[in-house]
Amino acid sequence: MPELVTLTIDDREVQVPKGTGLVETAMGAGIEIPVFCYEPRLGPAVGACRMCLVEIEGMPKLQAGCTMTAQDGLVVRTAATSDKAAQGQNATLEFLLLNHPLDCPVCDKGGECPLQDLTFRYGPGTTRMVFPKRTFDKPIPISPTIALDRERCILCYRCTRFSEGVAEDHQLVPRNRGAQTLITTFEEEPYRAPFSGNVIELCPVGALTSTQYRFEARPWEIQNVPTVCTMCPVGCNVTVTTREGKVKRILSRNHPEVDQGWLCDKGRFAFSHLRAEDRVTQPLRRVRRRGFATISWEEALDETERVLRGAGGRIVTALSGSETIEHAYGLAKLLRTGLGAHSAVLPEETDVAIDAFRLPLSAIRGAELIVVVGDDPVAERAPVVDLWLKLARRGGAEVVTIGAAGSVLTAPGSAAQTCRELAGSGSELGRRLRESERAILIWSSPGGHGGAEIAALAGELGFAGKPGSGAFHLPATPNGRGVADAWAAASDDEGPNPEPIAVLVVSGDEAASDPHVRALAERAETVIAIVMFERVALGWADLVLPGTSYLERDGTAMNLEGRLQRLRRAAIPPVADELSWLSQLAARFGVDVSPYPAPVFEELAGTVYGGLTLGELGERAALAERAQIPAPAPDPDTEPARPSDGHYLNLLPYRPLFAGAAVERVPELQFQRPAAEVELSWDDAQRRGISSGDEVLVRSNGTSATLRARLNRRLLPGVVRIADEHARDLHATVEVTKP
Amino acid sequence: MYDEIQEIKAQYPRTRSAVLPALRIAQQRYGWLTPDALREVADALDETPAFCQSVASFYDMFHLAPVGRRLVEVCTNISCALVGAQQVLEAFEQELGIRAGETTDDGQVTLRALECAGGCGWGTVVAVDHRYREPVRPEDVPAIVQEVRDGG
Repeated sequence: MPELVTLTIDDREVQVPKGTGLVETAMGAGIEIPVFCYEPRLGPAVGACRMCLVEIEGMPKLQAGCTMTAQDGLVVRTAATSDKAAQGQNATLEFLLLNHPLDCPVCDKGGECPLQDLTFRYGPGTTRMVFPKRTFDKPIPISPTIALDRERCILCYRCTRFSEGVAEDHQLVPRNRGAQTLITTFEEEPYRAPFSGNVIELCPVGALTSTQYRFEARPWEIQNVPTVCTMCPVGCNVTVTTREGKVKRILSRNHPEVDQGWLCDKGRFAFSHLRAEDRVTQPLRRVRRRGFATISWEEALDETERVLRGAGGRIVTALSGSETIEHAYGLAKLLRTGLGAHSAVLPEETDVAIDAFRLPLSAIRGAELIVVVGDDPVAERAPVVDLWLKLARRGGAEVVTIGAAGSVLTAPGSAAQTCRELAGSGSELGRRLRESERAILIWSSPGGHGGAEIAALAGELGFAGKPGSGAFHLPATPNGRGVADAWAAASDDEGPNPEPIAVLVVSGDEAASDPHVRALAERAETVIAIVMFERVALGWADLVLPGTSYLERDGTAMNLEGRLQRLRRAAIPPVADELSWLSQLAARFGVDVSPYPAPVFEELAGTVYGGLTLGELGERAALAERAQIPAPAPDPDTEPARPSDGHYLNLLPYRPLFAGAAVERVPELQFQRPAAEVELSWDDAQRRGISSGDEVLVRSNGTSATLRARLNRRLLPGVVRIADEHARDLHATVEVTKP
Repeated sequence: MYDEIQEIKAQYPRTRSAVLPALRIAQQRYGWLTPDALREVADALDETPAFCQSVASFYDMFHLAPVGRRLVEVCTNISCALVGAQQVLEAFEQELGIRAGETTDDGQVTLRALECAGGCGWGTVVAVDHRYREPVRPEDVPAIVQEVRDGG
């Protein structure tokens, strides 16, 4: 129990734990201390803006309230009861407004602007400034997604503190000193970092604005819909702003256990894929080799029914893992109970074993020892998890990454072997994990048997009995768990071997872009694709049914913690919702699928989620208790790591965050996509006389790619890393030479 | 330079602390902190060029733009201002034919106004290549300029 202190604010006695910030203490008592620069998530207060001035008994001058903490006997007066504080805040605002333009009527922030609000309440009604205001070129593109208006900047340093102290990308910085300070990037290069968009939301004035949202809407004509982002398995809570039914921007919505109010640029800016020019808005039938003809819904349903009936159960379903649980269940129920088709290509393996070591993501912050196993950068698989790791490290936690580019270097693909070693008695790190009460394991690699690998290690280390210790598996798909649950909930029958495949049903653009699914399609007589984008299905799908985006769906999804969260429809899709036509199609086979997500959830939740209701999920869903599941035995068959012989290098492809059908259709995000680069270790580069920026030829048996070299001092010698979209046809071992 | 900076880095518990000495090495080598020099320093420190530039821009003694071979700085802070620093600065401007902050066309001399040089008892302080002359009066200026031009 922390020590309580009693202090007085505006003649009111308040009791709070010692060390609570004065702003929070006042807020708890219903008293406002206005702020601009203060934001506890950005680290210690800096007192840059002086908006929070308060009078404190015994101190001769006004104090910056945000930099003070609650102490016993403190007597604080805010502007409400102190003329001196009121005058101080009034003067602060007068100074802030000296050079601030009065362009509120055309400023995107106008109407939801802290500077506007606080000026109205605490500031001077008139100006004494008779000189011309300082002007700059504007707007300055900080990146294709962010515009900077320097005239409006009040130098609160929120954005640069975020860049330095939260995202730790050190790219948005203050230049020069004092009143001459400018917010800028190096040599006007774009601010290219996965979390850059958060600075728009942090800006308390209209200095940093979104290029997508500029001049698109006024605050009084928008609707904000609370939903959940399902672009990656984290499931950040978001608010979707719409105007006249169109999505205009996405803001973070703080779920303290999941995202702490941060959102990556993919989640924030990728929404314009809804309006992609090749969006499928009508059912399509294949004509000629690479062409489609539009057909009516009636024709489409007739055709689908005919094809499915003729398949005799020899149907394979390929799912994306981005479907809502309800949508996947509707599809599963139709195909499994209506057609006896049980063969599915699930997006990835899932295993409930990980649930025995379940923790909220926020537990990472409080951990003392965190071990990340695997070759994939956490930020590419589950971006916000990387912010939690950085927060933990700043708080003094030790973060050990074990992989081909980790703090401990291991051969690529040896994550499972690493787990085995950590569980063994000879591992010093394993011993420390075992002894710690607050240790966390994270699997960040492909494979891992849906969490079974890392769960087995957690079991061996005795995490089951330690509520502070836990394990996370970072999956490759946003809702793979939920989709697998839905598939299982629909039926537990086994089906016939669908060989040869009569019909391949491909659900979602991710599955449709997957090379394995494409290979299956070549063996299938008929392919039905449910996709959003025409080009994804062009040339190989026979029948295309329009798909919808997560922003257009109502339903639920399960994130990597195992947290069920509620999605709400922010925009009406330009096409019929999947569930509505699935319901009609199912009826033709005598299967009852509701066209509405709520009854569908109710039906399946009874089977797989213990009768949980949508109401219980709420807007900020809680995490279920840890499951009592015996830890699985570790899998003895681990793939041996491939050694490098110096001449040939091991190719380590990774899936970048900024990739996929949606991102490809957002012009503003193209600069974030991985460059055509090959990352080389220092040793390998030296040996080949290659320096950073050189053009090199990457060759494997029969295939080659010309890429730019980038030296990575952290990479294990003998390994090269390439984003999978640039690695395309390269084999597992490659030669790298200067052309 | 990479190796030189590694040696400095090793002397500090946090590598960031090495940024000022590292920037000084780069400036000594290139004359001013060119974008490439900042990239080099950043690479050696495992920081971003933006961070290095941000730090450098805070300090008067780092140059983010080309400077002349010789550097003449006139303190114009309060103590020096009280004894006529402005007149000294103007005398330099007239003698060199440039404004404060500029470099002569031949690339020989850069003139700058300086914040407090710490010589408040002996104003006006003038620093020639960081060596102080004090006190300097406007009438001393032509001789100083001549000396600088002659390589003294």
